[in-house]
Amino acid sequence: MKEINDFVAQFNASIPFDESRIVRNRNRYYLLSKKLKQQVPKGFFYAGAYLGAVKGASFFPSFLLLSMIAESKANKLVIGKKTAWLFICGRDIFKQGILKGNNLKKGDYTLILNEHNECLGFGKIMHNLREEPDVNKVVVKNILDIGDFLRREKRQSRRQQRSRSLQGSDRKPHKSTHK
Amino acid sequence: MHNTNFLLAQLDSYPLMSDKEFFVKRYKKLGWTYRQVKLKQAIRINTMNSNRDTVVKRLESLGIVLEKIPFLEDGYWISKSKFSVGATAEYLLGLYSIQEAAAQIPVTLFTELEDKMVLDACASPGGKTVQLANLMKNSGVIVALELKQRKMFALANQLERTRVKNTAVYNMDAREASKLNIEFDCVLLDVLCSGNYVTDKGWFSKRTIEDVHRNARRQRQILTEAAKVTEDGGEIVYATCSLEPEENEMNIDWAIGALNVKVEEIKCHGEKGLTDIFGKELDRSIEKCKRIWPDQTQGFFVCKLKKQADDNEGN
Repeated sequence: MKEINDFVAQFNASIPFDESRIVRNRNRYYLLSKKLKQQVPKGFFYAGAYLGAVKGASFFPSFLLLSMIAESKANKLVIGKKTAWLFICGRDIFKQGILKGNNLKKGDYTLILNEHNECLGFGKIMHNLREEPDVNKVVVKNILDIGDFLRREKRQSRRQQRSRSLQGSDRKPHKSTHK
Repeated sequence: MHNTNFLLAQLDSYPLMSDKEFFVKRYKKLGWTYRQVKLKQAIRINTMNSNRDTVVKRLESLGIVLEKIPFLEDGYWISKSKFSVGATAEYLLGLYSIQEAAAQIPVTLFTELEDKMVLDACASPGGKTVQLANLMKNSGVIVALELKQRKMFALANQLERTRVKNTAVYNMDAREASKLNIEFDCVLLDVLCSGNYVTDKGWFSKRTIEDVHRNARRQRQILTEAAKVTEDGGEIVYATCSLEPEENEMNIDWAIGALNVKVEEIKCHGEKGLTDIFGKELDRSIEKCKRIWPDQTQGFFVCKLKKQADDNEGN
């Protein structure tokens, strides 16, 4: 739980979690609704709102947690359409791509939002935004973006292909891939 | 029930007759002429995350041409797109899911979903689990079961991406659902099946009638377990993307006789369920099921069963 609060605090934010509904399952944290907490047995793989995972000393947030932080008062930058696309592709952000931002300074962590105020991920400020940095210098370093969902799928698909080629069978029950 | 078992036993004696011609002849006998179908990619708007019109406008502004699917409230076919609709910001934000048109039908058949206790017995890859959460507006509880460990992460990613918050996922065989000690109001059985040639180009060279029978037997085991965990008056929606009657009408005919369920009327895209399978008469109520032959969509079969109270048993 401390890991989550510390992570949220990095954005100068705080979320009043009902700690009794937060469950740690191995290294993953989940926020369960009242009904889930009361009615589902232990031993689940995934449940409720996934908040993030602890790996070693680091906390890896979920995009649900980032969206929850974005709903509160927190460090945020709104970026333009083209910059948003590049950010999702894993790129860093230059000053000219920022549409709206508060007075963030070097070393701060900030959420990155698109023009619709949807959270695309988060990054670290590399130069004080109030100053006029070199246009060729990165002002926000990309730490996590929603393009990660695609990267995960690719990694998993590669793993599955390897496992299938090891098993060598293709005659398995079908579940449409178009679902 | 006896007729069905007899027919299954008879068909078991033709293991070598399982090439394309064999299946095409079977479809002809069932009243449908085989043809090649080009599947149109479809999406479903996740209205729990955004307004339908807003999402449509955003996609159109990207140059994606959408066509409303006439028989689905939130479904659209992708008529034209210069890039993958699985790689837009809107997709990654969970504003829509990629889900084949026929596969969007089963979840819409439940009478009432909000605040209910729902079982998704064969959940991976999770498209219908998300659709359930969407129609439930993230209320109530969904218990999603998936047998294969390697599919669990993809399912979890799908739930995280689409911001589903009312679901608990278990790595469990649907045939053991009663171990959870939960009674469900609604049960979705989107069971593992033999599939169909529309979504799998090598289908005819891969599948045999033995596969169909093996899957049909497993589906009956899942149906049996589903009937156990459904509360009296609860609903079971059974769906497959198989064209084979053994996995569809014949299984439902068996369920009517063996389990305490009856077939409910449903209003959705598709033709009446078949009651004459290769000369064998099935229960007339199976007409209430829907069979979708490949055309605008892939092949599909869907029906809704209602669990009867114990005191009605045998009625």
